[in-house]
Amino acid sequence: MQVEKFYYDNRIVKMFGYATVLWGVVGMLAGLLAAVQIYFPAANFNLPYTTFGRVRPVHTNAVIFAFVGNGIFMGVYYSLQRLCKARMFSDVLSKLHFWGWQLIIVLAAVTLLSGYTTGKEYAELEWPIDILITIVWVIFGINLFGTLVKRRESHIYVAIWFYIATWVTVAMLHIVNSVEIPFSWIKSYSFYAGVQDALVQWWYGHNAVAFFLTTPYLGIMYYFIPKASGRPVYSYRLSIIHFWALIFIYIWAGPHHLLYTALPDWAQSLGTVFSIMLIAPSWGGMLNGLFTLRGAWDKVREDPVLKFMVVAVTCYGMATFEGPMLSLKSVNAISHFTDWTIAHVHVGALGWNGFLTFGMLYYLTPKLFNTSLYSKKLATNHFWIGTIGIVLYAVPMYWAGFTQAEMWKQFTDEGQIKYQFLETVTHIIPMYITRSIGGLLYFIGVILMVFNLGKTIAAGSFIGDEAAEAAPLLAKTETHGKQYWHRWIEARPIQMLIFSLVAVAIGGIIEMVPTFLIKSNIPTIASVKPYTPLELQGRDIYVREGCYLCHSQMVRPFRDEVARYGEYSKAGEFVYDHPFQWGSKRTGPDLARIGGKYPGSWHYNHMWDPRSMSPGSIMPNYHWLFDNKIDTSLTGAKIRAMITLGVPYPENYDKKANEDLEAQAKSIKENLKKDKIETSSNAEIVALIAYLQRVGTDIKAASNQ
Amino acid sequence: MKKSIITSLSGLKWKVIIITTLLSPLGVFAAGPPKPSELHNPLAIVLLIIIIALLLVIALLANIIIGAAKINILRLVEDKSKTATKVVTILLLCFISSYTFAADAPAVATTADTTIAGLSNTSFYVLLSVIFLEIIILLALLYNLRLLLTKEKAALQSAELAEQPVAKKGSFIQWWNKINGFRSAKEEAAIDLGHDYDGIRELDNKLPGWWLYGFYACIVFAGIYLYRYHVAHSAPLSHEELQISLDKAEAEKQANLKKAGNNIDENTVKLLKDPADIAAGKAIFTTICAACHRPDGGGIVGPNLTDDYWLHGGSIKDIFKTIKYGWPDKGMQSWKDNYSPKQIAQIASYIKSIHGTNPPNPKEPQGTLYTESGGDK
Repeated sequence: MQVEKFYYDNRIVKMFGYATVLWGVVGMLAGLLAAVQIYFPAANFNLPYTTFGRVRPVHTNAVIFAFVGNGIFMGVYYSLQRLCKARMFSDVLSKLHFWGWQLIIVLAAVTLLSGYTTGKEYAELEWPIDILITIVWVIFGINLFGTLVKRRESHIYVAIWFYIATWVTVAMLHIVNSVEIPFSWIKSYSFYAGVQDALVQWWYGHNAVAFFLTTPYLGIMYYFIPKASGRPVYSYRLSIIHFWALIFIYIWAGPHHLLYTALPDWAQSLGTVFSIMLIAPSWGGMLNGLFTLRGAWDKVREDPVLKFMVVAVTCYGMATFEGPMLSLKSVNAISHFTDWTIAHVHVGALGWNGFLTFGMLYYLTPKLFNTSLYSKKLATNHFWIGTIGIVLYAVPMYWAGFTQAEMWKQFTDEGQIKYQFLETVTHIIPMYITRSIGGLLYFIGVILMVFNLGKTIAAGSFIGDEAAEAAPLLAKTETHGKQYWHRWIEARPIQMLIFSLVAVAIGGIIEMVPTFLIKSNIPTIASVKPYTPLELQGRDIYVREGCYLCHSQMVRPFRDEVARYGEYSKAGEFVYDHPFQWGSKRTGPDLARIGGKYPGSWHYNHMWDPRSMSPGSIMPNYHWLFDNKIDTSLTGAKIRAMITLGVPYPENYDKKANEDLEAQAKSIKENLKKDKIETSSNAEIVALIAYLQRVGTDIKAASNQ
Repeated sequence: MKKSIITSLSGLKWKVIIITTLLSPLGVFAAGPPKPSELHNPLAIVLLIIIIALLLVIALLANIIIGAAKINILRLVEDKSKTATKVVTILLLCFISSYTFAADAPAVATTADTTIAGLSNTSFYVLLSVIFLEIIILLALLYNLRLLLTKEKAALQSAELAEQPVAKKGSFIQWWNKINGFRSAKEEAAIDLGHDYDGIRELDNKLPGWWLYGFYACIVFAGIYLYRYHVAHSAPLSHEELQISLDKAEAEKQANLKKAGNNIDENTVKLLKDPADIAAGKAIFTTICAACHRPDGGGIVGPNLTDDYWLHGGSIKDIFKTIKYGWPDKGMQSWKDNYSPKQIAQIASYIKSIHGTNPPNPKEPQGTLYTESGGDK
């Protein structure tokens, strides 16, 4: 048969590779800053742009979507071409994809630092960027499937199954979770409210981990481990079973982020049991990766690429065993809202994603530049520094998590809470300091890598178009004898796409549809009323400053939480919360019942300098709230958006909302005056106080009647 | 010859009989937990169903073993001594497990005051022990069956194996290779599927057994979990769990209050004069109360506590009450969940002790004049 000559596009791989390294450095620096801010509040610099509530989303978005995102595209663009024996479908689309993605990242950084956020973790980007993401993702999809269509390989390899599942699931997650009603050219409210918003958000959040940080990287593992070790994949059967089981089961597990919350119990239980059933499919991937190395362990001892990959896969196995354990209610009661979760995700992020990316970079760079690695020794040093960094990061965080949870739950013999919240925070500050040292070590490792790769690139000569040859694909695939049943779908990428979509759609539909349609899941509470215009403005400030990143608004039905914060949270309390603000971490205390707990003047002083009201507090100062004026020009638009979402404001209320806003602001100003505090009634702090004094009080009004 | 076959066959039967008789008293035990009402407990029903199901499986397996033994009978005759050891092993296993069971029972009985999902500890552990025992018997039977079935195969292969030099490896590695069903490099060609993706080959290794059965076990766990929480309602949901823990805490608290003489309330509180008490009160005041009332009590957000004017009364009883219940409408929170009655008395006494200290730049007087002798004026 005639053999065709063609060229692999290495330029796009190189571009994504550079972007991976650049954003990795940026994202990790942001993480380091956030880690220091936790124990050294002065590192917030009293500026809105450098305060923890805005730096933290920049860190998470940068490492997930910029560092790992570009890492995915680097791995996919390199391996897909070679596994398909074809150049990418279109160089133009490749470039559009690359520059589009970098534009999204830059826009994300700018908007997040400016305080434009949806308030939903890992989906913080506002609606114009959401649309841009959709467009770029479709471009990637066309390029991916275009390449699959013109492939010269009859069947598609397991790595590509994972790429296909990734593409279709991320598309689904992003679109469903980003439904929002814009009220200005850049700001919007989530379409969903309260419990429903929480369910959709964590369905998304959990599966962003599954289908952005896991499945594409499993695909990458399936390509790079056999290539780097020269060993065959251990078990084809295991690939099939763990692939389908993984994508089908993963999608159900979202509610395990909401155990003991106001989410209906049945949904919580589904989250738990599917998480447990997820252990084996996840481990299937780890086993197939590690067992592939059988007979090549002597190479692992020598080759830094394999070293990184082995630790990456091991960290994947540890994190995917720990995750299901954290989904058991009794464990979750301790781990949730503490640093245990932070430790857990960083084992995954630093170990699995970080190390696999480094392994890939060390493998690819010499190949792309037709040379050998500048220094194997330096790469090995990077490996060890990075490993120590991970340990030094994770261990103190586990310790901090156990300790703090234990302290929260302690009662004296007389039945009183033993520790004030702040005492539990100041107690774990040494662990926070150690964590930042671990992070610094990991970062130093990355700098070593940048140097090593730079030297390698300088020494080599780049091959932009790598020549290859293969026979064209026959119109009809010849089969000899009996084929394994799964081979059928492996020759049909479109069917693979459809079947994957079906597999991942089921779990979400079964969990979400009843929660949206069946009223008994969210029992109405008559005394719960919409926010006043001033409170709504205050709430938007709360979201803008990222308060939810350190303060939960969810009192769980535990003795200690009920004693510390008050009545546990009910589903019906959140029906006007677009978006929900339950949070996932309690660096500060829960705020679900903050309303009326302290006088307005306490909040006023506390927001100016938290340490004046609670000595030893690690909360940043919020000086700008005292100078910024409430943007009343948007009040009407905000009320209209809320009415569209079904919040029962009176007819035409958007027109007189500002009158009410001013009246309420005046009364707060007068109240502050009684405590010798002079403030302008249109300062943002007034709106924030109005909101904080409202949170969680509607249900109290009911019990007083 | 024939006679010896019969004897060994009856030996086997005897073995099975022993197992079943060992089980039967346990079965009776299980069917009659101490309180008859517990039979309605869903957890008890679930456990009993498992026990019965396992019993059926044991009976079935015992039958199969007898069948397999009949086929294998000739070999059994040849190697009588080995069978004897097997019988002894099984018996030993049974005795050990029943012994542990016996040792467990009294220990459990003494702690029967607590319950597991509505089932008394005793019944729960009895039922659990029965299941455990049944599983051990099952394993023993399976082991026996496997021995019987592989005997023939082993005999055929033993000649071949004898020729191959056996590589001496650590027992862990051997065990690891075995449970994963690893094959040697030589056998790799046989399981190569012939796939070639950019030079990547794929092998057709079997799924590791422990992985596969672990997966099944997780699925079974999921079913039981959902059944317990949402069908049988034998495990408490979140808010029920809260009620249980609150009830327990209240009981503990009452018991402790009785014991410790810490049972002070706003009607019985007395002004404390002991310097140790005042110091303890001061320590809490400066860390917590000072945020609103200033460390010297002069007041910022909250009122001045050193002057003669009081918003909610200035007697020790009033101050105690104010700290204990708070005045939430006016910004004073309740501290009864944070501090014990004794501690609140200490804080109140400390506040009384700073009366008249005239700190600089105090907050203006609020409330009504109060003097110790005359009360409110």
